[in-house]
Amino acid sequence: MSTAAGKGISGEGDVRSWKREPIKPGKSDDQLQALAAERFGLARDAKDRWNLTMTLAAGQAKAKLHEVVRVLRDDPELRFDMLLDLAAIDYLSYPNHRGPRFAVVYLFKSLVFRHRFKLKVEVEEDDAELPSIHDLYRIADWSEREVFDQMGVVFSGHPNLKRILNHHEFIGHPLRKDYPCQKRQKLSINDPMVDQLESRLKHFGYQVVDSGEVHLGAPIAAKHQSVAEQGSVDTQKQKNAAGAVGAGGI
Amino acid sequence: MRVLTPEGDHLDFMTLNMGPSHPATHGTLRIFCALDGETMKAAVCEMGYLHRGFEKMVEQGTYSMVLPYTDRLNYCSAMINNIGFCKAVEKMFNVTVPERCITLRVVLIELSRIIDHLVCSCTNLVDLGALTNFWYFFNTREEVYKIWEKLCGQRLTNTVTRIGGMYRDAYPGFEDDVRKVLVKIEAAVAEVRGLIEHNKIFIDRTKDVCVVSAEEAISYGWTGPCLRASGVDRDLRKDEPYYGYETYQFDTVVGETGDTFDRIMIRLYEMLESVSIVRQALDRLKPGPVNAPDARLSLPDRDRVYHDMEALINSFKLIYEGVRPPPGECYDAIEAANGELGFHITSDGGTNPYRIKVRPPCFTQYAAFGPMCEGEMIADAAATLGSINIIAGELDR
Repeated sequence: MSTAAGKGISGEGDVRSWKREPIKPGKSDDQLQALAAERFGLARDAKDRWNLTMTLAAGQAKAKLHEVVRVLRDDPELRFDMLLDLAAIDYLSYPNHRGPRFAVVYLFKSLVFRHRFKLKVEVEEDDAELPSIHDLYRIADWSEREVFDQMGVVFSGHPNLKRILNHHEFIGHPLRKDYPCQKRQKLSINDPMVDQLESRLKHFGYQVVDSGEVHLGAPIAAKHQSVAEQGSVDTQKQKNAAGAVGAGGI
Repeated sequence: MRVLTPEGDHLDFMTLNMGPSHPATHGTLRIFCALDGETMKAAVCEMGYLHRGFEKMVEQGTYSMVLPYTDRLNYCSAMINNIGFCKAVEKMFNVTVPERCITLRVVLIELSRIIDHLVCSCTNLVDLGALTNFWYFFNTREEVYKIWEKLCGQRLTNTVTRIGGMYRDAYPGFEDDVRKVLVKIEAAVAEVRGLIEHNKIFIDRTKDVCVVSAEEAISYGWTGPCLRASGVDRDLRKDEPYYGYETYQFDTVVGETGDTFDRIMIRLYEMLESVSIVRQALDRLKPGPVNAPDARLSLPDRDRVYHDMEALINSFKLIYEGVRPPPGECYDAIEAANGELGFHITSDGGTNPYRIKVRPPCFTQYAAFGPMCEGEMIADAAATLGSINIIAGELDR
């Protein structure tokens, strides 16, 4: 494998080294269950009869979640190097449900071994907060934003816990069971995202002196803006002839 | 935007909104960037312009009513979504669909993968100014859509499967039609490869552009062709085979550098592998039933419904209430055209899904897009956006 040296993309989470070799058999669900029970004191979730789900109780989540996930990722026998997704569930109207109202399910997959793992973290309604794992997996940044947006679970230590699917003026969390399906909200101005851009520039060592005039407005207005400006960029500098066709040749 | 560089110089960066309605975004995505001349110094991405609350909507209806919604996730390969969802629900029932249904589904998955890659590759090349390829690929795609139309009456959003089987068996002559179109696909791929593979402009525009290393791709949770382009030879069809994929002869196509060139070429080569799988599947397609003989899932024969009281009740219950998966939580994934498409289904034992979380493959790819573009030319960013194949329907749900 030849990766272009020094051309890495920059993100928040760190990355583990990867060696290309065939996938190994990995551990069975029973072995993983025994391991998780012994190392972290996790219990198997009775709701999942098809895959292996281990539950981390609400009281322990804040103290243990980050460490558990780090071990899952780094342990040479486990190597769960991919965080596939975060699925948040609201058990408000689930029949005969006991325990905290919310749960966030972390779906892990190993690319070294042929095994998967689901970590279900219980979340209390009046203390809906979990530690962020954005420093372990880069995708966690956006996945956690989605859970926050849709279900209202806060991730402490997240660098930019904004809504991601919904408009930034949206009130409430639509996937909660008590959010009415037909409810309407009036949303007006786009998120300028200047703060995000400035923090990215800061990441590269630039200090923003003057944000200048930043164009906001509705999607249609943004369209005209981008088309006009882009045309001018490309005609200004014809460094890349084919590029003018790609982005500016509208 | 006026900035102070680390060296103490003052620079003027231009801020630019690319999208949400920009032709190069192939959907509604917004990339907000700071430009130094033509170079993107920083870029942040926004999504959600096509968010329609898929996961809330599906909680309001029965499991069968979810199926048409899944078409609208990745609308370039709707059948893979149908099959992925049905496979997840069937897993909850612990039901295996009949042999003919499995083989038909393999044919449909691979043909859908091909048309998805056709659309992705050719629109990507249009972004680079290479319009000719568009006609080669769209003509071929049209041929596949003619088959879809004959198969289920729909072109784009097919809803071709049912939980426990298929909407109906393939029409007579289906196999011949597919075999004919496979030849056309091979010809089209050969034409396009001839046009671009050694084309200096294309290579200059894509080689070593927006490189993503294997480690970064894994940390971002990439799956599918984009992950393989970065040199990670992982494919669910090989690693965790379903539908008998382990019995088919095909290769996983793997890239070297993880640049835009690799991401485009991988799709071209994968289409040829899919053609080979479809041929093998057609060879083993035997007549037989396409629906699982399970009263909890499949509608009884129309003839029985008119003459048998139990069949009538069964039919009535299935149509008015639908299927009732056992209570619990289940995750099941399928190798879709873009990567791992997963459904995390929570059932309370009732007729409506309690909660469905979709794991869309392109969410992870779009999350990496901003950092990928930083330091690259803005025109290359447009080409790269095409190469990671963002489908807003499944990204925003």
